[in-house]
Amino acid sequence: MAESNKPEDFVRHEYEAGFVTDIEADTFEPGLDESVIRRLSAIKGEPEWMVEWRLEAYRKFQEMTEPNWQKVSFDPIDLHSISYYSAPKKDTDKPQSLDEVDPELLRTYEKLGIPLHEQKALAGVAGAGTPAEAEAGSGGGGAYSNVAVDAVFDSVSVVTTFKEKLAEAGVIFCSISEALQEHPELVKKYLGTVVPRGDNYFASLNSAVFSDGSFVYVPKGVKCPMELSTYFRINAENTGQFERTLIIADEGASVSYLEGCTAPQRDENQLHAAVVELIALDDAEIKYSTVQNWYPGDENGKGGIYNFVTKRGMAQGKNSKISWTQVETGSAVTWKYPSCVLKGDNSVGEFYSVALTNNYQQADTGTKMIHIGKNTRSTIIAKGISAGKSDQSYRGLVKFQPTAKGARNFTQCDSLLIGDKCGAHTFPYIESKNQNATVEHEATTSKVSDEQMMFCRQRGIDPEQAVSMIVNGFCKEVFKELPMEFAVEAGKLLEVSLEGSVG
Amino acid sequence: MTLAHKTPQVTLEPAFTPEGGKLLPQPLRHLRDIRSKALTEMVLPNRRTENWKYSSKYLKLDESLAPLTQGSGMAVGRAVEGAYRVVIRNGVVDRESSVLPDQKGVEIQRFTDLDEVTAQSVARKLDTVIDNSTTQIAALNTARIEDGLLIRVAPDTSVDHPIYVQCVTDAQQSGSNYPRVLVEAGNGSKMTLVEEYLCEGDEPVLVDAVTEMTLDSNANVTYIRLCMEPDNVRHVGATGVRMADGANLDSHAIGFGGDLRRHDLQVRLEGENGFARLNGIALTQNRQHFDNHTAIEHVVPHCDSEETYRCLAGDKSHAVFNGRIHIHKDAQQSHADMNNKNLLLSTNAEIDTKPELEIYADDVTCTHGATVGQLDETALFYLMARGVDRQTAASMLSMAFVHELVGQVPLEDVREVVDVRLNQFIEASFKETNA
Repeated sequence: MAESNKPEDFVRHEYEAGFVTDIEADTFEPGLDESVIRRLSAIKGEPEWMVEWRLEAYRKFQEMTEPNWQKVSFDPIDLHSISYYSAPKKDTDKPQSLDEVDPELLRTYEKLGIPLHEQKALAGVAGAGTPAEAEAGSGGGGAYSNVAVDAVFDSVSVVTTFKEKLAEAGVIFCSISEALQEHPELVKKYLGTVVPRGDNYFASLNSAVFSDGSFVYVPKGVKCPMELSTYFRINAENTGQFERTLIIADEGASVSYLEGCTAPQRDENQLHAAVVELIALDDAEIKYSTVQNWYPGDENGKGGIYNFVTKRGMAQGKNSKISWTQVETGSAVTWKYPSCVLKGDNSVGEFYSVALTNNYQQADTGTKMIHIGKNTRSTIIAKGISAGKSDQSYRGLVKFQPTAKGARNFTQCDSLLIGDKCGAHTFPYIESKNQNATVEHEATTSKVSDEQMMFCRQRGIDPEQAVSMIVNGFCKEVFKELPMEFAVEAGKLLEVSLEGSVG
Repeated sequence: MTLAHKTPQVTLEPAFTPEGGKLLPQPLRHLRDIRSKALTEMVLPNRRTENWKYSSKYLKLDESLAPLTQGSGMAVGRAVEGAYRVVIRNGVVDRESSVLPDQKGVEIQRFTDLDEVTAQSVARKLDTVIDNSTTQIAALNTARIEDGLLIRVAPDTSVDHPIYVQCVTDAQQSGSNYPRVLVEAGNGSKMTLVEEYLCEGDEPVLVDAVTEMTLDSNANVTYIRLCMEPDNVRHVGATGVRMADGANLDSHAIGFGGDLRRHDLQVRLEGENGFARLNGIALTQNRQHFDNHTAIEHVVPHCDSEETYRCLAGDKSHAVFNGRIHIHKDAQQSHADMNNKNLLLSTNAEIDTKPELEIYADDVTCTHGATVGQLDETALFYLMARGVDRQTAASMLSMAFVHELVGQVPLEDVREVVDVRLNQFIEASFKETNA
């Protein structure tokens, strides 16, 4: 039989977002020192306290060494060969409306399936798909039809849609640079409270040099009327993207936030070191979903993004809830542990994750659930799929402090191996200092079995589709947590990533 | 964030590396010298040493724990009827108190009595079964041995009685000792080895015990390790097992806590169709500590392993479990199950557990489960509804929790000894928590 039916043969895939946009940009010379930070801050017109805040972070950063405990290996990163700021050139100050945004940029986002035209979206045209969206195919066409988008291109936010509509509800949704101008008191109050400046090597670096990101504030009792979303795009060469996201849900508020990302196909590795901080006060709820599709490198492991991200949510208030959902298919190396600090009594933390690695990708990802308040509950569902020669680890921490009376955790981490050259690992840390807390942890490792394949093929399903079906089934528990449009995109992405890997 | 370069690295006290091992045959003395030299630079594990993350704070190796050089004249532990017994006092084999087998094919010798040829082969083998880099402190053992025990079972020989190795520490004065056992089980041989750690006296002492075993094809070994020492003993032990094809290991590690308790159990399945069962119980109360680290290496295809560890922690005690299953590349058709359940008996106790899987082959089934919790309220209610008071009900349930594993120990004598201690433990735990 000429045709192979091994699952691993069906996982090869082409990266569809790998194009480069030819756009004029202002880019800093590579290098990092205090003057770069001052210049960055000055360009953004930040208040004096912010410059000091950054410099303090930089001082802390200089005392640290790069962590090496994670189970990934990569060439050392030369932080001095990276440019810390790159922004599309603009004729005037800032575009006041969409019409003033560089059409090249708009085309880029349309190509990626992210419509930045509010009118179309409002009129429901986006659902039908613009011609560009149709071209973008599985890039997520129509996925953002009723979603407010903050588009971050390299170091800056280029446009935020639906601002007025959100303002009516009292919701602040803008780039963090803008927030520093318009709402400095809010930023000052919350920035760095969840992920302190000295938290870890990459978080400190981010605190010193972050260039942009999104800021969300949902006031008391407000349910955010639409999904909020940020779309990150790395375009320029030799740059690092350091974005910072800060989301605050005040008492009784709720918000659902989506994050997507892509980068051009290049032979060099690029660094993406982001920090995300979530704060949920009493009875507030934040749902944070990520579909991470950075360029993963080619099939020989060349190029790709280093995705070193610190994400942490503080469930500060009573009955608050923080939920992380992530679908990780991109990046050459991923190093990320979205965490919840469950401080308020009865607060809830959730982590749903699907991570897929292929070729030479490496992922060390998981979560931390720190139970401090009484009756806090957390759920962790992590699904890992390794194919090709990739390596993947789940690393998690569940910790019960003596105060976490009646706390509960349930953890399930399952791994699926496709092919015999890949690895799947589990490192769950469980620390309990409370007699009245209960933790349950389960983990399994298996492969797409011959029986499952035969069952599908007998029914006329081709092997590639069969693997995709089985993998989708494996991930179902996580996909059902994603907002509807996103779930469709995630499923498609998985399919593309799995192309050519079945057996 | 790495603070390691800021905190000064603590090395071993110079007192730990005096001369010694004069009675050992030349090849073993040579090995000891090499290891001793390496020790001078040994950095003690600290909080940032992953293997000692939770336990390094209990590791206090000061001058007073320097190696004991004098022998001991103290009384030895109980003799078991119908069993062989070897007594190791302060790390030195005491032939007079021992009852050795007179069976063809069973050879039990002390290191200091070995002829040149045997000593050569023993020296070549020591430290090759165990991975010293992951046990750290166990590396100290080879550098400090004064004596050791070699047990050889010839092919197709079944040792007719269990062999009890009683390691007795004389704690009339503080110091440390280093018991060492090497077991070579020939093709198709069968034996039961019981290691019992005991101590008399109440000065602080350090016991650093290492046992290495090689199981040839189809060898069948039952290994029971009883850590019964009082609180004043800091016990750091390591057991390494290498298994050839078709070999079978049945291990039962039962221990009661103390100032520091650590046991590393490393099993390497190096031949196809091997089977390893690892059972373990750790019980801690007051301010005691116990740390079990196990590692099962599936090196070749078609091997099975089953692991069940349970911990009970009361008062202000601290129990740690770290289980690691490593399926090597191409070790297809491996089946590994790991299960770790823990009960916290008090609000001030702490349990840390980390069941790890590291898998490089796709056609395998591996599962692990871990729980940390308290007694089931429904079960308590069930008993109380039948007139059992809460305290008794709780102690019954706790007892049942570990007794499931005690019941699997194949020697009645051991079960009895453990039960006595277990009863004392449960009684003390529930008296104090409910007072």
